[in-house]
Amino acid sequence: MSARVAPRGLLGAAIAVEARKARSSHVMLWTTVLLVAGIGVLALGILAAVAAGEEQVIAKLGPLAGVGGWAGLVGIVVQVTAAGGLAAFGVALSWMFGREFADGTVAALFAMPVPRAAIALGKLIVYAIWAVGVAVLLTGVVAGIGLILGYGVTDAAGFGELARLPLLVVLTALIGVPAAWAATLGRGLLPGIATTIGIIVVAQLLAIADVGAWVPIVAPALWAIAPDSIPAAALLTVPSVPLAFGGLCALAWARMQLDR
Amino acid sequence: MKNPAGTTPMRLEGGGLVRRFRGGAGLRGIDLSVAAGEIHAIVGLNGAGKTTLMRVLLGMLRPDAGEVRLDGVELRSADAATWARVGQVVEQPLAYAELTARGNLEIAARLHGVERRRVDELVDHAIEEFDLGRYAPVRTSRLSLGNRQRVGLAAALLHEPAVIVLDEPTNALDPAGVILLRESLLRRAAAGAGILVSSHHLDEVARVADRITVINDGRAIGPLDPHGIDLERAFFDLVLGDDAARAEAAQGGTARGGTARNHTRRSAP
Repeated sequence: MSARVAPRGLLGAAIAVEARKARSSHVMLWTTVLLVAGIGVLALGILAAVAAGEEQVIAKLGPLAGVGGWAGLVGIVVQVTAAGGLAAFGVALSWMFGREFADGTVAALFAMPVPRAAIALGKLIVYAIWAVGVAVLLTGVVAGIGLILGYGVTDAAGFGELARLPLLVVLTALIGVPAAWAATLGRGLLPGIATTIGIIVVAQLLAIADVGAWVPIVAPALWAIAPDSIPAAALLTVPSVPLAFGGLCALAWARMQLDR
Repeated sequence: MKNPAGTTPMRLEGGGLVRRFRGGAGLRGIDLSVAAGEIHAIVGLNGAGKTTLMRVLLGMLRPDAGEVRLDGVELRSADAATWARVGQVVEQPLAYAELTARGNLEIAARLHGVERRRVDELVDHAIEEFDLGRYAPVRTSRLSLGNRQRVGLAAALLHEPAVIVLDEPTNALDPAGVILLRESLLRRAAAGAGILVSSHHLDEVARVADRITVINDGRAIGPLDPHGIDLERAFFDLVLGDDAARAEAAQGGTARGGTARNHTRRSAP
């Protein structure tokens, strides 16, 4: 009567389904384009302003304004990414989770052999893969900008600075995961986006105040501003955020009822 | 549709189902079953509890009391193999706007536990069965509501489930879609599926159902004969009779100093 079940690979099926949805969606595509292009344009604008002697921009950058070459470019990009990237990652996650409630498709995800917890984990895994892709893409774009600006010749030794960028992007993506939990509990996109804004504000305020090196949601922003001020072990605390909130998210999906 | 013991197996059983909501709505103790090969329809006015009942039967809501069995397996113990024998559309169908009709059917197959190598075969069959060929490469966001419903129904049924639960499945369907669905359900019932379907369309229900149960105020208040002459009159007789009995009981309760809920009085159209 029924089609045979493939008992193994239910998580694999969830990942494949979520990957397909993400690939087909304009939301993920435009988030990627806006994030990468936006950061690239902003970095170029800041460099141009510094070169033109714009005092306000130079004051905002602080010691970074005097740093040229790859270190200066990467320093600007990581600072923009710590805030702007987190916003983009939070929006993407809020959409991935919140849209099931906003579109009403969550009802169709019940009564299936693929458990809802696997669907939630599938979303997070696809998000992580996408974030790594964004990290690679952004690093490539920034490398291109640096080469166009001639840093390949004038600052060949500083090329290694670029390695900070993908690490910062991935760390930023990791601290965005609470948005998924908030979108699940709040049953929509807005609670996820509001949570993201909250994380950005707290992380930036604490980073500017130079406190919170050991607070996982602050460490990436602090590292972006002043890499030497953060012990490497502090960055290792960052994965605790996705682990804790990813677990909460899977639990919320497993125990979910359509009672609202 | 007998099993080796000579009895008809039950595809879906709910016993003593209670689920209360704030404000007084919910289920107040429903027993309901669907046998293999049977199409059991539930009818009732808006707010009677049909969708809540279906949600409880499918694990979308946990009951305050009572038990659900899916193809003989207690719902709380249902594993992947049990859920792979279930197909449902309650409220929104599985039809993601960003995917094509075919894309939606392919992900539905994966989520229903279909082995990857069988996905194309089952999707092709579903496209043919629900006459979706023209729409297969079209993004679902561009489909009409009725065609989106067809995609959702095809997604729910493509894995040939033994337990089928459909809430108002003819909503938004055009007459051709209604006929396709009717034939599809009759074919699946003949093959041994147990089908629970809710509808407001008594004529349509009479065409497909082996049994009709009337739901009112969160309870199963009685059967309707699918072959009866005036189904609408029989339906309202049952509902209005139940409303009157409850109102009378509530007044008696109030007279005895008890608290009584308010009931909306209805009259036959």
